[in-house]
Amino acid sequence: MSGRRLPGVLVLAAALGIWEALARARPSFLVPPASAVFERAGQVWPTREFLATVAASLERLAAGYTIGAAAGIAVGILMGASPAARRSLEPLAEFLRALPPIAIVPVAVVVLGLGNGMRIAVIAFGVCFPVLVNAWEGVRTVSPEARDTAAMLHVRGRELLYRFFLPAALPSIVAGLRVALSIGLVMLVISEFVGSPDGLGHYIRFQQSQFNVPELYGGILFLGLLGYVLNTLFLVAERRLLAWQDGAAGEPVR
Amino acid sequence: MKRANLAGWLLCVFVTGLVEVCVRVFDLRDSVPAPSATFRALVKGLASGALTGAVGTTLESYVEGLALAIAAGVVVGVVIGSSRTLVDCTSILIEFLRPIPVVAMIPLAILFFGLGIPMRRSLIAYAAVWPILVNTLYGVRGSDRMLDDVARTSGVTRVGRLVRVALPAALPSIAAGVRVAASIALLVGVTTEFVTGTGGIGSYMEEQESAFHLPQLYAAVVLVGVLGYAINVGLRVAQQRVVFWVGDERLAAR
Repeated sequence: MSGRRLPGVLVLAAALGIWEALARARPSFLVPPASAVFERAGQVWPTREFLATVAASLERLAAGYTIGAAAGIAVGILMGASPAARRSLEPLAEFLRALPPIAIVPVAVVVLGLGNGMRIAVIAFGVCFPVLVNAWEGVRTVSPEARDTAAMLHVRGRELLYRFFLPAALPSIVAGLRVALSIGLVMLVISEFVGSPDGLGHYIRFQQSQFNVPELYGGILFLGLLGYVLNTLFLVAERRLLAWQDGAAGEPVR
Repeated sequence: MKRANLAGWLLCVFVTGLVEVCVRVFDLRDSVPAPSATFRALVKGLASGALTGAVGTTLESYVEGLALAIAAGVVVGVVIGSSRTLVDCTSILIEFLRPIPVVAMIPLAILFFGLGIPMRRSLIAYAAVWPILVNTLYGVRGSDRMLDDVARTSGVTRVGRLVRVALPAALPSIAAGVRVAASIALLVGVTTEFVTGTGGIGSYMEEQESAFHLPQLYAAVVLVGVLGYAINVGLRVAQQRVVFWVGDERLAAR
């Protein structure tokens, strides 16, 4: 959604102004003025404690995302490349994909306990399926002619993967990875709601239980900014990685 | 739809049998119940009404929230999308609000609405509104200018053009947005129940987890999966009927 930026910035500023004015005109415990939220954020965010909690969250997200993405790409390509693998895995994949990932949380708690392993597993589970489905779709776009040509030229195994399937699936995989990023962030927060000693999910839950409303707004704001920054970085990387493609960015399948 | 996928279902049966044997042989009942025990719990839960009641509670908030989101998202999306100026004005606001993981709003919604149905309904609606709004907006922007011009010169009013030109043109895109929204809404709904313990299948899972009633817990997880799958398939069928003029390949886009 590009376009001229100035009106957008003005409207954003106006929205903040209205928030500030309303909160000051009718002081409410639930809606602190914008300035109070930012002031508090300015005090809290640079503290060592808050940065440690951010670091803990980012570590979990990175670990879970990497595992989930790797599993999704591997299984997705397998399902796209081999009809036998597709047929045997499809019902299971369709079911797990439709399962709201929250349902895996109590199972993960029972099996893995309340540690980091559970949180990473939950994030990986959420990340895996959008990547899997998109990798699968991507490989499916390899035309039958290309497949036949590859078969005729005896292109097999690793070479088939790197020369045919991976390049064809890459735009789609990257699109899936971007969708998965926001799902990963959601799963991170959920996993940290459950018996976590630190992390951003725990932070906002704790601020709510203490009725620290400006801190709570600040935590939500931070998560929004984190999502925005991660997505922007991803788009920059995507443009570099897929520079050979003529503008046809992959549309994610969901 | 398709031919029955024998290999896939065989694998499901095989995996289930393997789990059954592993649980019995290695005595894993502390973390994974035997599938037969899970199945018995599922039948019992459905027969006694414990599971059906919980799912009913979940679906009630879910349907209300989703309906609210569709109404709001489509109306606001058509209005914004019909004007270049409005798109420019709101783009940054939408760009900043959308990446906030909705589950992070759960603590805030608790403070605002308390632990009741309005809290759940508004969280579900908030989560679901973004994909619908953005897809409507894109759909309207992408509509044929020529049709709009023809309608205008034929004396159709501004509102008439929105309803009879922009809306039908955006319908395929809206339908795709609703499908994305439906799965996000289910995730947020069940998560909210799980975190706040306010009834529904999410709370049921949380209770069974803390009571360590593993067969009941796994039965609920299976049921949530079936629910997600049914919603997915139901919406796909509805989508094919409502926007029947769109080819299969475009249905899944976005």
